[in-house]
Amino acid sequence: MIQKKVCMVGIFGTGKTSLVQRFVHSMFSERYLSTVGVKIDRKPLDLDGTQLTLVLWDLAGRDGHEDITTSYLKGAHAILYVADGTRKETCDQLPELRALAREAAGEVPDLLALNKTDLTDQWKLGRGDEEELAGAWDVVRTSAKTGAGVEDAFQRLGRALLATREARS
Amino acid sequence: MTATAETSVRVDARGLTDVGKKRKANEDHFVVMALRKSADVLETSLPDLRALDALRGPEGWLFVVADGVGGLAGGALASETAVTTLAEYLGRAAGCFNRLDTEGEQELLEQLELAVHSAHRRITELYGGGGGGGRHAADGPATTLTMALLVWPRAYIVHVGDSRAFYLRKGRLRQLTRDQTTGEYMVSSGVWTEEQASKAPIAGTLVSALGGQEMTPTVGLVDLLPGDTLLLCSDGLTRHVSDERLAELLGRPTDAGMACRELVDEALAGGGHDNITVITARMHAGPGV
Repeated sequence: MIQKKVCMVGIFGTGKTSLVQRFVHSMFSERYLSTVGVKIDRKPLDLDGTQLTLVLWDLAGRDGHEDITTSYLKGAHAILYVADGTRKETCDQLPELRALAREAAGEVPDLLALNKTDLTDQWKLGRGDEEELAGAWDVVRTSAKTGAGVEDAFQRLGRALLATREARS
Repeated sequence: MTATAETSVRVDARGLTDVGKKRKANEDHFVVMALRKSADVLETSLPDLRALDALRGPEGWLFVVADGVGGLAGGALASETAVTTLAEYLGRAAGCFNRLDTEGEQELLEQLELAVHSAHRRITELYGGGGGGGRHAADGPATTLTMALLVWPRAYIVHVGDSRAFYLRKGRLRQLTRDQTTGEYMVSSGVWTEEQASKAPIAGTLVSALGGQEMTPTVGLVDLLPGDTLLLCSDGLTRHVSDERLAELLGRPTDAGMACRELVDEALAGGGHDNITVITARMHAGPGV
């Protein structure tokens, strides 16, 4: 069984925990409870016959009080960044977060979940913004609430992990 | 107790339990353990033993609180079995906690979960299964379990039920666990509002417990800093003492033993309706004794 550590990284309130809840437990809650420290979940995937278990490290988001604790990122095999399409600032801080993460974990596969597509009426990103993001990231639009794109995001990251592994062997 | 890792730290850890004012028996149990890979130098010609200091101190600490519930055989047996099993299981694993790489850490996390499952199986085998996971289960005892394995600076938390783990940093108290109760589950699922949960008689019923029909441990971790205080407790404390008051009491410059005493006294003064168990661990900067 292949196990890979995947860290969830983003600003507070972008929906990191909700994405994990949706992906692992098929649940969603409107209630917001900020993550303290790291919550760890596991999710086995079958990717074209290859069994891969993602060990998901759901990190507390960056907020006004505390920055990301980079020691949690050490040894990560992949990173799933999460931004909230209704809060443009969560996208603006992505390059800085990626630089922090790369310093701690190195150049590992990553992916950006552009979350809360169920709230497109409150969307703060124009077409140009999304095109710019797509130029720098592998982007998947997600909604933890409806489940749209969630499975796809984690599966794509899983495939990227396997591809990296094959390239190394 | 001392540890040397990224920063030298002295851990002052104590636990205390009290039957409370209403219950006839105490069904809570706890343990505070230093996990050692012992290597004592008895004689040597070496002039400087500082390089060997790391081999003498503990490499980790185990803190466990378990709150036994219901059943003909008594919740005390369930909580005792849970604490004993975990202490045995992780005591045997001592020696493997230093210098964890990513794979080693994943293995440790699995070991912690396995330890909890092992305790669950043992309770089920000894006292019969399906304790209902309820506060008033009539068909077998069950227990909550909140455990922290501290391998400085990282505290690994495994949790089942409604006992709690917190840490205090610079006066700010943060809860590391979420209660596994009907109320919490229904609110999290969006079925109940917080207000509905506060009025529902079954809100406090456990949906996950060792010895219960359901047992779903949650796993987390936090990196601590010198100056932080870790608190594990049964709900006999938190039903009487608010988070704000917990922060205030833990923020006092007392040793861990006195902090435990003050927390228990506060719960007793608030009514002491249930058994009360607390563990506090203070992380002091600098080498200790």
